[in-house]
Amino acid sequence: MFGTFSLLFVAALVSLALHRTKWLKPVALVAIFGSIFLTYSGSHIGLAGFENSEAIRLFTLILEIVLLAVILHEEEDQTLTQTLFIATASVALLQSHTLLTFIVSFEAVSIISFVLVSHIRTAAQAEGAVKMFIAGSIATGILLLGAVLYLIGGGRLGAPIAVETTALSTTGLFVMLLGLFYKLTIVPMHGWAADSYALVRHSHAAILTGVAKTVVAVAMFRFFAPFLAEHLSLSVPVMVTLAVVTMTLGNYLALFQKRIARILAYSSIAHAGYILLAFAALKSGYASTGLLYMAIAYIFMQTAVFLLLDILRKRYGIETLEALKGLAKKNGLLAFFFTVQLFSLAGIPLLAGFMGKAVVFYAAVDAGLWAAVLIALLNSALSVGYYAWIVKHLYFDEAQGPASQSNDKLPIVSQLILLAGTLTFGIFASLVFSVGNAF
Amino acid sequence: MSPLFFIFGPMVLAALVALYGKKRDTIVKFVSLALFVWMLIYALELLAILPDSGYLDLGSYLAVKDFGFELTLQVDHLSVVMLILTSVLLILVALSSWTMKRTSTYFALLILFAGPITGVFMSTDLLWFFIFWELTLVPMYFLVGIWGAEGRIYAAVKFFLYTHVASMLILLAFFLVYKETGTMNMTLVRESMLASPVLIWWLLFIGFSVKMPIFPFHTWLPDAHVQAPAPISVLLAGVLLKMGAYAMIRMVVLMLPGQSAHFAWVILALGLITLFYAGFMALYETHLKKMVAYSSISHMGLVTVAIATLSYSGLSAALFEMIGHALIISPLFLIAGFLHHRTGSWQMGDMGGLMQKAPYLSAIFVLAGLAALGLPGTIGFVGELTILIAAIKSYGFWLILIALGSMIGAGYIIWTFRRVIYGEISQTVRKSDFRMDHVEFAALVIFAVLIVFFGLFPSTLFDVINAAFAPIAAQGGL
Amino acid sequence: MTTLVLVLLILPIIGALIAFTSGLKKNALAFWTAEVTGTLLFLITLILLVDYKDPIDIPMRWFEFGSFSIPFGIYIDKLSLVMLLIATGLGLLDIHFAHDYMGEDPHQPRYYAKVLFFIGGMILLVSAKDMVGLFVGWEFMGLASYLLISFWHQQKDPADAGVSAFLFTRFGDIFLFAAIGLLFYLTGTLDMVKLNELSQAGKLDEEMMFVIAVFIFIAAIGKSGQFPLFPWLMRAMEGPTTVSALIHGATMVNSGIYIVARLFDFYAAAEALMVVATVGALSAFIGATSALVQRELKKVLAYSTMSHLSIAFVGLGVGSLAAGMTHLVNHAIFKALLFLGVGAVIMSAHHVKDMWRLGGLGKKLTWVALFMGMGVLSLSGIPPFSGFFSKDAVIAEAILNPGSAGLIATLVTIAGLLSMAYIGRLWLLTFAGEPRDKGLFGKVTRPSAFWIVLPLGIMAVMTLLMGFFQEHIAEMVSNGPFEEPHVAGLFFGLMSGIVLLALIIYYYYVKRPDLTEKIAAQPLIKTIHSILFNGYYIEKMIFWFAHNVIIESFAKTSHWVDQHIIDAAVNGMIGLSQRITHIFGYTHSGRVGDNSGAMTLGLLLLLAAMLTGGAV
Repeated sequence: MFGTFSLLFVAALVSLALHRTKWLKPVALVAIFGSIFLTYSGSHIGLAGFENSEAIRLFTLILEIVLLAVILHEEEDQTLTQTLFIATASVALLQSHTLLTFIVSFEAVSIISFVLVSHIRTAAQAEGAVKMFIAGSIATGILLLGAVLYLIGGGRLGAPIAVETTALSTTGLFVMLLGLFYKLTIVPMHGWAADSYALVRHSHAAILTGVAKTVVAVAMFRFFAPFLAEHLSLSVPVMVTLAVVTMTLGNYLALFQKRIARILAYSSIAHAGYILLAFAALKSGYASTGLLYMAIAYIFMQTAVFLLLDILRKRYGIETLEALKGLAKKNGLLAFFFTVQLFSLAGIPLLAGFMGKAVVFYAAVDAGLWAAVLIALLNSALSVGYYAWIVKHLYFDEAQGPASQSNDKLPIVSQLILLAGTLTFGIFASLVFSVGNAF
Repeated sequence: MSPLFFIFGPMVLAALVALYGKKRDTIVKFVSLALFVWMLIYALELLAILPDSGYLDLGSYLAVKDFGFELTLQVDHLSVVMLILTSVLLILVALSSWTMKRTSTYFALLILFAGPITGVFMSTDLLWFFIFWELTLVPMYFLVGIWGAEGRIYAAVKFFLYTHVASMLILLAFFLVYKETGTMNMTLVRESMLASPVLIWWLLFIGFSVKMPIFPFHTWLPDAHVQAPAPISVLLAGVLLKMGAYAMIRMVVLMLPGQSAHFAWVILALGLITLFYAGFMALYETHLKKMVAYSSISHMGLVTVAIATLSYSGLSAALFEMIGHALIISPLFLIAGFLHHRTGSWQMGDMGGLMQKAPYLSAIFVLAGLAALGLPGTIGFVGELTILIAAIKSYGFWLILIALGSMIGAGYIIWTFRRVIYGEISQTVRKSDFRMDHVEFAALVIFAVLIVFFGLFPSTLFDVINAAFAPIAAQGGL
Repeated sequence: MTTLVLVLLILPIIGALIAFTSGLKKNALAFWTAEVTGTLLFLITLILLVDYKDPIDIPMRWFEFGSFSIPFGIYIDKLSLVMLLIATGLGLLDIHFAHDYMGEDPHQPRYYAKVLFFIGGMILLVSAKDMVGLFVGWEFMGLASYLLISFWHQQKDPADAGVSAFLFTRFGDIFLFAAIGLLFYLTGTLDMVKLNELSQAGKLDEEMMFVIAVFIFIAAIGKSGQFPLFPWLMRAMEGPTTVSALIHGATMVNSGIYIVARLFDFYAAAEALMVVATVGALSAFIGATSALVQRELKKVLAYSTMSHLSIAFVGLGVGSLAAGMTHLVNHAIFKALLFLGVGAVIMSAHHVKDMWRLGGLGKKLTWVALFMGMGVLSLSGIPPFSGFFSKDAVIAEAILNPGSAGLIATLVTIAGLLSMAYIGRLWLLTFAGEPRDKGLFGKVTRPSAFWIVLPLGIMAVMTLLMGFFQEHIAEMVSNGPFEEPHVAGLFFGLMSGIVLLALIIYYYYVKRPDLTEKIAAQPLIKTIHSILFNGYYIEKMIFWFAHNVIIESFAKTSHWVDQHIIDAAVNGMIGLSQRITHIFGYTHSGRVGDNSGAMTLGLLLLLAAMLTGGAV
């Protein structure tokens, strides 16, 4: 059966042959459009160990739309190919239903990420890639350790995670979670992210933090939620603690940074904290909707800001806040896109970021964790400090350097797609709510 | 006309103006003026068809399955009064901004502000209320940050962050309300349904206190109001602060009557402290616009005292004083801003003898100042009188303290007159040119006329205001 | 009748608007508008007087808020009519006089508009039925007074004087404002006629009534320039003399006495009259003694006003509404006469107010000297001028009332006698003797007969004629039969005292002014002189309090707290965040080894948590 997975996989393989020709981008676009169509009409991987659901279908669709934006934006052959590969692996990871398929797809995403960033041009990029690689290999070790413990404790490789577990397999699963947290950048597995996200190329970072992270979050939730819900007395304290520590650490470290990419890297860590709250709120019926909403909102806005950074670096060589001054006068359109996505990250209403946070936080309140939510809300307010500070540089400061209003068409189209997503999911909440519980 | 038009229409219009408004300043100005006038007409139409008690349903939109999240629009007298006040102020603000630089962007933001503020007063869904409440911050952040005076960035960021932190408490309270009652419609929430009313009361009270503002959560205001361009100070004082008071009445006093009665002494005490503390601050101030800002806080203290009475009369007085405060403080802010614009100085000591160079401007300043100190014949007196009577009725004779507040008011206002308007003409004033754009001056005149008109004929307002609380009082809710 | 009353209330405001707008084109138009309006007002008052049968009572409602209703009724009885006659009659004469006095001022539209506005306020005050209406009129007058004192706002002194006037009277006003709130709380009504009835019926809480009465009296103290809130009245002399005559001599300052008279039964029932009498007596003494040593013509009159209003207060305070109010009426006429007379002198003498630079003006300003002389006699209390009767009656009542027979009666008698001394001194120094400033004397011009001397003449005749109708006036203002009090030997004693004082000042100020200077050089006399000259330093004390306690202590403390605690806490968040960020920064070294270590540590912690959490 010719599904999304096969289409993307074939396209990725074909694209390898099309490097240095003008056909690469059109083929990639056709493939991604095709996959959007196929996903919309309900295709799923016809192999054993994979299973689709309504929520996953919606998320896959959105993932493909975001990757469409990435492809529109991207010029480089290597990145385009890896984007298609990562799309393929993501589709597989999202639909994984057994431990085996889950681990394999997860490792596939990881490895493609390494290949992506291994396209090194500068020393800084090398540093980012190496840090990511080393951390990734340790995480893989932990993940496999956990899997082995689980299997020894009576787990089965070819089935979904058992809800009824022995002490050893429970421990194994928590160790596995810790390994997976590496991709989600949860404290203490976050150390690499702050450097790598900021150092590798911005379009790569967009894929890493925007796409890969959310895919892992959704897949993890889908895979582990039944188990965690069964062990609330253990999972809630662990998840709440990690969530609170992660968001607080991320926000505070983001506050006084000077490089924009680093601010956004830490903000990405902080967001992982918010996402983790959904894992803690499993008692509530809104947890799954919350996670899905948060993931959808996050994939749009996070990808958008890093792609924007990419444009800014290419066009104006902007890396620091100082250089960002007065961008609104130099290029009003880019400043506008940037502002909207930043406000979405900050949780300003009528934008997807607000709704995502609102639903996750409500789920946590519903689960009785209002004190944790208070901390999360104050964190969110704290984060407005640095987002508003970036906006201040965009609009309130005087411009330096010459103004040039003209923009390349395709990146702008890609930004418009992401903007539309941020706005749509900020207003029409029922799109997500209608599938939120169908994980 | 669908009410959605007045909520989302401005947002779309703002985008259009921002995109296509460049170099079409006059059209942009008239378009925004037309929108605000239309808003006023719509609000007046709503007033005409309001039922005597209860809400007028304007429809529900964007319902979300399994989550009590739905854009429910319902209005009663309280919200319509606020809508009228808002649209009148928007019209006058547009007039006062007639010569503002970077016209199209400025007016686009002004229009953008009109949408959410309409939503705040129309929405009875808690989450949508919160959405609009937060959205009003965005245009304000830019308006203060871009068009403000020398300290604009500090002021804008402080304003944004401070009020945002407060909003977070409000959001948490709304979540708790929904969890415990299963509804997000504020008209359906009853205190008896709540499991943790004390926590919710405090979260809401502190959250709204920041916006009002009430001591000790007031320090964002002097910075924001002083640094903002004069017309935006008007919006901040006339509309944004009123949002806080509106929410305090609707969601603290009326939604949680039991807890409010229990903690009334907190509201009362903080209101009195605000009244006197800000009064003393104004007395000590030599910075003209800061003096006006503190005077504004002091008057909001009076509103808080009126709210603390939790009585039919007290709430009517509070609503009246809210309108009075908006009309009185606005011309003071406008003139203070104008003087700074022309003289380049904030200090009252640098001015003096303004009456000799700009007699009519000075006369309006004097009139508004006299209204601020509660002189009969102006709207300020009616507000103070009604609050005094209502407060004494609720809390006993010791609340004659309020009268002392108006003495402090007289102190700083009269001294300001002495330093700015009267006396020998100063070098700064002699050098400066005080000719004002006719449209901007017309806005000031309208403010002056309204101050006197409602001061002499307060019943025109009270007829509507009383209707806002009469049904609740009749049910024994107050 | 109702229409007429409404016209009376609204006409001044309309007149003021027309005077201002028309005057912008031509100054003369402003004057004529004012003159016509003034005449109309006076005529309407006369009609009301002639047609008077019963009190005109128009209950009205101003507005309703919540469950309360604020009334705004009109009530005109004989007391109101007398006050209306004073306000409109003297107002008209004052406007007439201003034709020349303000003739050269470029800001006449503003002047006449404010004067008409003032008259409107006064009319509202005396015809109000409810406390709210009264308060509105009260504050309107206060505003007009402030604006007119600061009429020459471009100069420092008038501007400062305006501030004083507003703030001193406002301090009193807030007590009246508070009293309104308390009355509403206590009785539910603001109707003054009803309040008198209720209090007589003994239905009200006496302690609260006493508090309210004292509060209202504090407002009266402020408005009528009584101890200790009088310093503003002295500074108010910076305004045009026509304004001083109308507002600070004859009409507005009476409103304090009017309000006590209006609530006389209430005061009696609240047993607050003795407070009134005590403060009145003290003020009478302070005013009279301070008036003795002033150099400026108008300051003498200002202190004299304070002193004589106090005498009227004492009259009310010792329980005689008739005596107090009659003195008030008499005083209004002769004080307006004296003020305008002084105005004529000042105008003729090119705005010299220091009487030591004048002298011998009687030769040039014969008519002014004559009419002022009649005013002087009336004020000193020489029969058959009106001032004699009422002052005599007040002193007699004070002696007859056992509560006030001691100190109060003594003080008020001294004040009464000293009137002769200070006003005689003023007249003698101005009109008698030889001119002390020859250059100035040469330049003195003669005032116009129609615009200046005529109003003086009318008032001079009035003060003489009224002496023969004292009983009628007394009956009118007290709404009942009037019995003149008799104290054996009082007349003889007062007269001999007055004559003696007259001789003394004649000797010292006209015959031997050199001797006066020698006496004044004595150290003890010098100290006393400066205490009196500065009004017992009351103003200095109040200013000291306002500056050091209100501004430098309360306000400065608030300012400090706001900056260093409340806002500092907010701004401190930045520093705190920086510190927290710094601490968190230790977790991020950026070294690969540390990252890996953290991961391993995390694994160990997790395992530890699992073990202690009981999972394993």
